Amino acid sequence: MRLSELKPGEYAIVRDLLGKGPIHQRLLSMGILPGAVIRVVRTSPFGDPVEYEIRGFFISLRKNEASYVEVDKIIPLVSVPPGSRVRVVLVDGGVGFMRNMDSMGISPGQEITVLRGCCPMLVETARGKFSIGRGIAHRIFVR
Amino acid sequence: MLVALAGNPNTGKSTVFNALTGLKQHVGNWPGVTVEKKEGWMEYNGKRIKVVDLPGTYSLTSYSVEEKVARNFIIEEKPDVIVHVVDASNLERNLYLLAELLDLHPRIVVALNMFDEARRKYEIDVEKMRNLLGLPVVPMVAIKGEGIEELKREIVHGKFNPRGVEYPEDIEKRIKALEEKIREMGLEPARWLAIKTLENDAEVIKKLSDIGARNILHDAEHLRHEIEDIYGDDIESVFASVRYSFAHGLFHEVAAPINVGGANITDMIDHVVTHRYFGIPIFIAIMYLAFQFVFLVAAPFQDAIDFMFNGKDVAGGHIDGLIDISYAWMSSFMPDWLASLINHGMLRGLGAVLTFMPVIMLLFLILSFLEDSGYLARVAFLMDSVMKKMGLEGRGVIPLMLGFGCNVPAVMATRTLKDENERRLSIALNPFIPCGARIQVFAFLSYIFFPENAALVLWSLLMLSILVVFILGYVYSKTLFRGESQPFVLELPPYRMPTMKGVSVHMWEKSEGFVRKAGTIIVGAAAIIWALAALPWGVEYGGEESYIGMLASLLAPVGYALGITPEAIISLFFGFFAKEVVIDVLYVLYGSKDAILAAMTPLQAYSFMLFMLFYTPCVATLATIYNETKSLKFTLFVVVEGFIVASIFAFAAYHIGTLLGVGA
Repeated sequence: MRLSELKPGEYAIVRDLLGKGPIHQRLLSMGILPGAVIRVVRTSPFGDPVEYEIRGFFISLRKNEASYVEVDKIIPLVSVPPGSRVRVVLVDGGVGFMRNMDSMGISPGQEITVLRGCCPMLVETARGKFSIGRGIAHRIFVR
Repeated sequence: MLVALAGNPNTGKSTVFNALTGLKQHVGNWPGVTVEKKEGWMEYNGKRIKVVDLPGTYSLTSYSVEEKVARNFIIEEKPDVIVHVVDASNLERNLYLLAELLDLHPRIVVALNMFDEARRKYEIDVEKMRNLLGLPVVPMVAIKGEGIEELKREIVHGKFNPRGVEYPEDIEKRIKALEEKIREMGLEPARWLAIKTLENDAEVIKKLSDIGARNILHDAEHLRHEIEDIYGDDIESVFASVRYSFAHGLFHEVAAPINVGGANITDMIDHVVTHRYFGIPIFIAIMYLAFQFVFLVAAPFQDAIDFMFNGKDVAGGHIDGLIDISYAWMSSFMPDWLASLINHGMLRGLGAVLTFMPVIMLLFLILSFLEDSGYLARVAFLMDSVMKKMGLEGRGVIPLMLGFGCNVPAVMATRTLKDENERRLSIALNPFIPCGARIQVFAFLSYIFFPENAALVLWSLLMLSILVVFILGYVYSKTLFRGESQPFVLELPPYRMPTMKGVSVHMWEKSEGFVRKAGTIIVGAAAIIWALAALPWGVEYGGEESYIGMLASLLAPVGYALGITPEAIISLFFGFFAKEVVIDVLYVLYGSKDAILAAMTPLQAYSFMLFMLFYTPCVATLATIYNETKSLKFTLFVVVEGFIVASIFAFAAYHIGTLLGVGA
């Protein structure tokens, strides 16, 4: 789907950038490139432009520009209801953080089950049951 | 020694610049473009070092004027050191530009500004960052002056041993191959040129093809396709990902997050001020209060300056001002006409320039406050949808709003628009917004001609001006000012408290610039108006036998068609000089309020006001327009469009009114 189709509060991971020239380059230099996580923050009074959060900062894009961004919708682990079984898409952090998560069985492609909601959350992975705090649960994205 | 400051917008770059240079700075334009160039001098151990503030950019591509200006400066002027000002609280994104700078220049000092804010989000290991980059890294809080001395020291004594950006082997190999060929041709900086040629950078490719380096371009194209095939993506995305991996990797090596989530002040404020329903009313209320403040504070100063120059008519006669006193003194030893020219012409012009100052300074105070606090970006976000219809981005609303105060700072404020074409469109529309001086005249005339409905008449004029701006904006953006639509990617920076120093430097710069650049033009125009009104020598000043009077009677048929009396035409000539004097001139020519009332029907008065609403902007505004665009043709265009619109409205109002038999 396109970034412009998302609603406030939703998350997505960038899959591809369409278009050429200035728009393309401008989006790239703001950090919108494949793999980046985007959150839709709010829409302006007339519905266009829309505010997004990306890599910890906030930008406004017109619908037209946002429609150049191909995305896949994702959900932060923190808002997954108890009892659901989900697949990890992305672990957002440095090498150390990703290694830690991996040692708990949380890495892209793995399936996990949420036993108790936030916070702290209780999840069951292939490696066992783990308790996860809010800060970390915000940095794990699932589908 | 030459130092250049580079960095993203909203990183406190100008605060660092001000802290380094103090007030020893010069503001101008980069050659050929309307992007502001700031230069200054810093001192360290008795050494005088030149500092140039490059435009704030997110990257160094050839897609925007700012980016081209920044990188061409680095290539052509070869600064000894680049200071990369980084917003440490937004480290990852800022490091992207560092990746680009590293390809371009080996001597970079990284200034981690807003370090205090950053520490609330993560712990930064500065020592590790120094080692990984091989560059001096200085944590600082520029608005508090922390870290400035260390930054100066590193600029002068820093050790540079840059590691650079590591490209994946299959890209590095190809960069090297191209780099060698470029170096053989004697072109520098070879590595950067190689990277940019591979990246398909339009400007670099054009440069190479201009000097006939066809084989290099040919090789580059081949290598580019190889890379695109390997990575299965377009070349720009491939290079951007490499740079972001660098930024991402470095960031996670040196920063350990403390806490994620939780309430954040910026988000809380935005929740209210960019609200779907309340956002726009809040914006209008803020602007209303700002204007109240400007006029409340400026009025006494303006009156005082006016009194100082022109004196004052009081019940018992006239209190002499500077002009009267100096005229009396000069005419004792020089020809009367010369004394009159100097005093009634030029000195009066100088007075007019100075009376503009309080309003300009205060409007810039407001503008700097809106800009530095981060609210301006929210206004752009709120208003974008509306402004887009007139071919402007959201920020375009600000110069138009400022126009209600004074068109001079409003025209200067069009610099907040990044796109050259939009800036010109915005300047062309601005004079149609009635400034405070015109509103003052309208209020007065409405009151004497329409005592019952004065407010309604005034409102009709204001609404009409907004309508005209809107329609003209729509039409212009589709015709005369049709440009390539630029991507509108706007950062919404965290709210920050503006600093007194930043705001006052900005305010001073702008008003001083106005006096210096526009001042001479205005004083010159004052001399011309004087000549028209006072010559041939001996006639009554501005009377029927003066050149102005002759011009007015020549134009009488035109005025007749629009319902405007010859005396009113003369007042419009003087109004070109400063709009508020129209009332004074009418008073002098007619003698009294009752005589004015007897000379014109209410319909004629309304038609006159309509004409005055749109006809040429005052000389100060024109001088500013010329200074901002450096185009005589464009300035002339603004005058002509004004007269056309004014004539259409005055003509229509007068004749439709006559047909309907109203206001006779």
